[in-house]
Amino acid sequence: MTDDKDVLRDVWFGRIPTCFTLYQDEITEREAEPYYLLLPRVSYLTLVTDKVKKHFQKVMRQEDISEIWFEYEGTPLKWHYPIGLLFDLLASSSALPWNITVHFKSFPEKDLLHCPSKDVIEAHFMSCVKEADALKHKSQVINEMQKKDHKQLWMGLQNDRFDQFWAINRKLMEYPAEENGFRYIPFRIYQTTTERPFIQKLFRPVSTDGQLHTLGDLLKEVCPSAVAPEVPMPEVCSWLPTWLLASSAEGSHLPSLWRDWEEDGPRLSQQGAENRRNQSPGTETLFWDQVVASDTENVLCLNSRDHPQIHRMVGRSGVGL
Amino acid sequence: MEENEFFGEKTFQHYCAEFIKHSQKIGDGWEWRASKDCSDGYMCKTHFQVKNGTAVSHQGTSAHVQTFLPVEEALDPPLDDLEVTETTTAAEVIKYEYHVLYSCSYQVPVLYFRASFLDGRPLALKDIWEGVHECYKMRLLQGPWDTITQQEHPILGQPFFVLHPCKTSEFMTPVLKNSQKINRNVNYITSWLSMVGPAVGLNLPLSYATAASQDEGNVGGQGKKRSLCSTFPVAKILEPLLHLAMSPLLAPAFIKSAFISDRLDTDLFV
Repeated sequence: MTDDKDVLRDVWFGRIPTCFTLYQDEITEREAEPYYLLLPRVSYLTLVTDKVKKHFQKVMRQEDISEIWFEYEGTPLKWHYPIGLLFDLLASSSALPWNITVHFKSFPEKDLLHCPSKDVIEAHFMSCVKEADALKHKSQVINEMQKKDHKQLWMGLQNDRFDQFWAINRKLMEYPAEENGFRYIPFRIYQTTTERPFIQKLFRPVSTDGQLHTLGDLLKEVCPSAVAPEVPMPEVCSWLPTWLLASSAEGSHLPSLWRDWEEDGPRLSQQGAENRRNQSPGTETLFWDQVVASDTENVLCLNSRDHPQIHRMVGRSGVGL
Repeated sequence: MEENEFFGEKTFQHYCAEFIKHSQKIGDGWEWRASKDCSDGYMCKTHFQVKNGTAVSHQGTSAHVQTFLPVEEALDPPLDDLEVTETTTAAEVIKYEYHVLYSCSYQVPVLYFRASFLDGRPLALKDIWEGVHECYKMRLLQGPWDTITQQEHPILGQPFFVLHPCKTSEFMTPVLKNSQKINRNVNYITSWLSMVGPAVGLNLPLSYATAASQDEGNVGGQGKKRSLCSTFPVAKILEPLLHLAMSPLLAPAFIKSAFISDRLDTDLFV
């Protein structure tokens, strides 16, 4: 996994240029200028927007301010989703900067969780890490850690400290030599088209006959609509560790890529190879033929790109990759 | 996926179905809802409670009057464990929704719930905490964020409160191990819900327990009479529950619902 340090760093330091604008109906004492910020993909909105809050509160009266919340094109933004996930899910096909609207009134109770303090973000983050470890190691690794290790993980994220974070996280990314991988792969597939926020199921990295599972195997098993060639699907796009699926020469339908893969065995399409060279920061291209878990050098490991949490893949419709 | 785990999703669905069968018999209001894509589902119940200002007395409790008391039991024929003897003018009526989902990560059931006033205003987390049973309050004060938190419902995508599942298998394992030993069928969902439900105002009528023992085909006549509490040491059950920082003096009402027993006798109070 040390070979992948560059990729780990690229994912960690991925940023999204964002423009925050105050909602027009908020009551201000003078005009509110927009506020620009580079948002870390791996973090959470309410963790990194203190400056945004202060900036707008300067032009408002105390009595007009209640809990801050964010919205993009009418959709309230779930602060408990990592920023990169929100962007990929809702805005990745739009031009940068990402335009987010800031609200201080009328908190949408039916859509958003409350975030009264940083403690809530920490609790949510740790809860995700614990759940991922329940899947990977039956919670053994996370439970054996001391409280101060948990704290270090959180502080690393909060303060954008890659080394501090990975000093602890690497333990969560290891598995015994005699095993071929984790017990189950922690993943979630997000789609905007469904009421269900994400697909999460048990999935082993190795099949019963010892074959390493690939991303294609995972998707076929848990999200078959993403791979059926005859159906134009909510195709899987990306998030942290932001797996972009390679597009085929025809212009990026997953179905055609799948056909390539089926007929000719694992190989990269030309466009796919191109994409592998031109990745945007904080993303990494993953291909059908990559095994889901492997420690061999020349195969990218799904796990080793892990950000703190569960791998998240995003489904959306139509757009070429 | 695989069902070699002790409490897999199919097992969960089976116990829920059994639980709901009994609920239908006694009109307790639980039902199964499948997700839109029908790949899974959850068990749910809605009921209404009166908050504060009520002078309702409650068979089996001491002077302590719970903040939340069920209203519908005043309208239904009285159940043998809870009787409402009088009500004052209703202050605020709160609608509670309870959902029981399966967590494939922890391989246990999880209790989700939300509460709102009749006009749709939701209850805040601090209101929820205030309504929590005394037994659980100590634990909550130490680490509120570990026990009841607000989370996104995994099927509906809306904010709900959740009782965190990571300790569930810890306190359920002794119950199940012992039920296997004495060859007695225990409905996991019934046992689990009777333990965690009261923390958030959800009580199970005792008939769920008697139903469970009546359904046991492989236990003889004498088996039915044995109470769970007399068959294995109380300490064994209590130990993991102490994790929840219960006070040593358990409210009798809590014990009644927490321990499935066909006769609640003084064995428990030794």
